Amino acid sequence: MRNYIAFTKKELLESIRTYRLLIMLLVFLIFGIMSPLAAKMMPEILSASMPEGMTISLAEPTAIDSWTQFFKNISQMGLIVTIIIFSGVLGTELSKGTLINLLTKGLSRNTVILSKFTGMAIIWTISYAAAFIVTLGYTVYLFPNDEVSNLLFSVFCLWLFGMFLLAVLLSASTLIKNNYGALLISGAVIVVLKLCNIVPNLQNYNPLLLATDNVSLLTKTVEVSSLSDAAAISIICSAMLIIASILIFRKRQL
Amino acid sequence: MSVLEIGQLYKNFGNHTVINGLDLSVPEHSVYGFVGQNGAGKTTTMKMVLGLLKPDSGDITVCGEKVCYGETKSNRHIGYLPDNPEFYGYMNSPEYLSLCGEVTGLSKKRIKERSEELLSLVGLADVKRRIGGFSRGMKQRLGIAQALLNEPRLLICDEPTSALDPIGRKEILDALSAIKGKATVVFSTHILSDVERICDHVGVLHGGKLALCGTLSEIKERRRHDCFVIDFMNSGDASCFMDCEELKSPMVSATQEGHTIIIKISDLKNSGQFLIDMLSKKQITPLKFELMEPTLESLFLEAVQ
Amino acid sequence: MEILREYLPFLVPLIIAQLALGITAIVHVLKHPRYRFGNKPIWVLIVLFINIIGPVVYFVFGRGEDQ
Repeated sequence: MRNYIAFTKKELLESIRTYRLLIMLLVFLIFGIMSPLAAKMMPEILSASMPEGMTISLAEPTAIDSWTQFFKNISQMGLIVTIIIFSGVLGTELSKGTLINLLTKGLSRNTVILSKFTGMAIIWTISYAAAFIVTLGYTVYLFPNDEVSNLLFSVFCLWLFGMFLLAVLLSASTLIKNNYGALLISGAVIVVLKLCNIVPNLQNYNPLLLATDNVSLLTKTVEVSSLSDAAAISIICSAMLIIASILIFRKRQL
Repeated sequence: MSVLEIGQLYKNFGNHTVINGLDLSVPEHSVYGFVGQNGAGKTTTMKMVLGLLKPDSGDITVCGEKVCYGETKSNRHIGYLPDNPEFYGYMNSPEYLSLCGEVTGLSKKRIKERSEELLSLVGLADVKRRIGGFSRGMKQRLGIAQALLNEPRLLICDEPTSALDPIGRKEILDALSAIKGKATVVFSTHILSDVERICDHVGVLHGGKLALCGTLSEIKERRRHDCFVIDFMNSGDASCFMDCEELKSPMVSATQEGHTIIIKISDLKNSGQFLIDMLSKKQITPLKFELMEPTLESLFLEAVQ
Repeated sequence: MEILREYLPFLVPLIIAQLALGITAIVHVLKHPRYRFGNKPIWVLIVLFINIIGPVVYFVFGRGEDQ
């Protein structure tokens, strides 16, 4: 336990001193500000791009538009940036050999994996929460009378999907020495999940649902209960991926 | 008692046999020089001792405890300095030592005491910089400090001096000498002068096993050739001495090279006396009269042939 | 003018965040002239002109060893 805390502290210190935390925070803050701004400006941008004399009727932007932008930004660019930032989380240590020294001192390999995941999860959670709070503040300020449903659950779903992706990334890093390899595998997993959506029966169990149905949740076109299977599968898969990472990493010759 | 015992160790990488039935024993409180050519398998052996590589067969015991691959229990007796130590560049030395201390399970207070003590031992006490800006020598010295943090009974250093300039090397050797008596030191190297400077035991690894081992003086004793070197003032004296009838006997072989005569005789003690007698009989004062010690280099070359 | 005032609460923090990201990266590029690949002018351009992703890519892939 003491080792776990010590190594997790080291992971966080690393994220701070190598600017990982700063970059994540700034990028997510930018998304947090941009999302409501884009929603607000959308009609003006559209009308400005229209040819002279042509008028189209545009609905006034609402809070839903703001959240649509938020989920679009975070589920695409946000997750990509997160995965890129953490792509070297294990590979860099292995290729540089910084880990060997601590392992010979009695740090267990299980602890390494668990601490790495904890470190990534904390940074992801902080950054995501920052973006959420900023968007929430601006959305309430801009569209004070708009109501949205299931907001917290919807936000939780995307957070869970992020955690799932981090587990994918970590297990990929234990398999492959190369940082880019881990990145590629994570990308490949997304593609496979998208392909799974072709099979109608699988859709409800697909973790990807957590990152695609967020806006539908807000507008109540999708019920909360319909995502419970996907959420459960994501949690189970993440846990299994982390256990697999530990098992693979223990077998690996360093 | 031996701190480190290796018995019948084998390791292949694919078809390539690196360690082939290695037996090795390191007595307590010795400084053991583990010598071998590049690629002889020194690092491989050390990694197996640390449980980082899986041996194909054989036993490794550290302080009476068997080493198992993938486990790190026996490592609490060991301090390890890798050949090219890499630390987290974004930390400074006290931070790194405190991380190591927490991992090994030292108390906060103990970590602080030991860190200060060790950092001044290796001469890094006043360096506030982050490790990323360290020179190689500084990294090696920090490596020694972190290896000694939990007061290990066995310190293993993998080529600690190979990549350093003369000043860095001297600093490392001084630091290792300072440890003598506190812990048993095993260090691998291919620099023989380093071995002669600080080691009392030597093992030469060749062809996957020890080609030569023992204390430094024992080895030299065992391999001593009964060989004398006599330097003369001028070649006239040398030729005059060469002409002695006694040197022509089949028991003796003498060769002359300018001012110098090298004489090989079987019986060391008496023949020394005998040569001195002859010199006084001929009324020749030599410039130098010396019993030839085998150099470690010649022993090494002989062992790896 | 009216529009600008309306957007000010967005633009100011947005610009600050963007600048912070860009400046952190550009300072690092200039102060640590060793990169895993590429050279200084290339990284300066990438960091300055590729929004958001530029600095991210620099810190993850481009920057050299520590310090």
